[in-house]
Amino acid sequence: MSSMLKVVGKQLKNHPALIPLFIFIGGGATMSMMYLARLALKNPDVSWDRKNNPEPWNKLEHNQQYKLFAVNMDYTKLKKDRPDF
Amino acid sequence: MAHPSQLGFQDAASPIMEELLHFHDHALMIVFLISTLVLYIIVAMVTTKLTNKFILDSQEIEIIWTLLPAIILILIALPSLRILYLMDEINDPHLTIKAMGHQWYWSYEYTDYEDLGFDSYMIPTQDLTPGQFRLLETDHRMVIPVESPIRVLVSAEDVLHSWAVPSLGVKMDAVPGRLNQTAFITSRPGVFYGQCSEICGANHSFMPIVVEAVPLEYFENWSFLMLQDA
Repeated sequence: MSSMLKVVGKQLKNHPALIPLFIFIGGGATMSMMYLARLALKNPDVSWDRKNNPEPWNKLEHNQQYKLFAVNMDYTKLKKDRPDF
Repeated sequence: MAHPSQLGFQDAASPIMEELLHFHDHALMIVFLISTLVLYIIVAMVTTKLTNKFILDSQEIEIIWTLLPAIILILIALPSLRILYLMDEINDPHLTIKAMGHQWYWSYEYTDYEDLGFDSYMIPTQDLTPGQFRLLETDHRMVIPVESPIRVLVSAEDVLHSWAVPSLGVKMDAVPGRLNQTAFITSRPGVFYGQCSEICGANHSFMPIVVEAVPLEYFENWSFLMLQDA
């Protein structure tokens, strides 16, 4: 593993133009893996653990933001006007 | 509605469609710039008498043509993701309407306060009055109050259909046994046309959608009259 890194480091010294490539590809791969992990762990649409967490979609608060970004909506201002079931 | 030989989008009638139009202009401008640059380079390469047979590599130009495309892609991706999340936001609708797709007509149900339901069939070409649009008009329009957030629940009673109104930036598949939600706000009063957007049989092209946005008093009068007729 470290020998592979040494080889890559040597190639980088001779071809520094590869550094932006590593940055963008590495950054893109990291961001996609992080988003996939967030979906796997925090997505309320799927129940992974049927014994301990059978229906996570029923546990959402009325003003909870479950999407990653909120562009135009202040979710804290939403009022709860439905009865509990 | 679309006009003959139209190439671009229809005029936006909702804020989301305006955002989509502006993003399309932005992305298309980038595409035009890149294509023009590439075409120029091709022509320049092909029409020059200069040659250099001894170039092997160049680190500087490699850095530039890695960095610049990455920046351009980020400039396209950020507005795109912003609109994506904007389209999915829950906006506290004032009215919920159910649009059910059938072979080959749509039916609309306004059940928030009373039970109002009606079918919306296309007006056949031979029954059109002067000024009406061929294959786009329906006998009953889906009337909504203007500038109010509307939620539309789309489903189907038999096969797949799709409820689409291009000027509102709305398209949602109608799947039997499934309830799909979409929402929009009309920024101005008017009549907005759409067509079924999922192949559904012989008359798939002949089950249009007409949304009519009117001020609230007109909407209240209309729903009162529709309830009486039913």
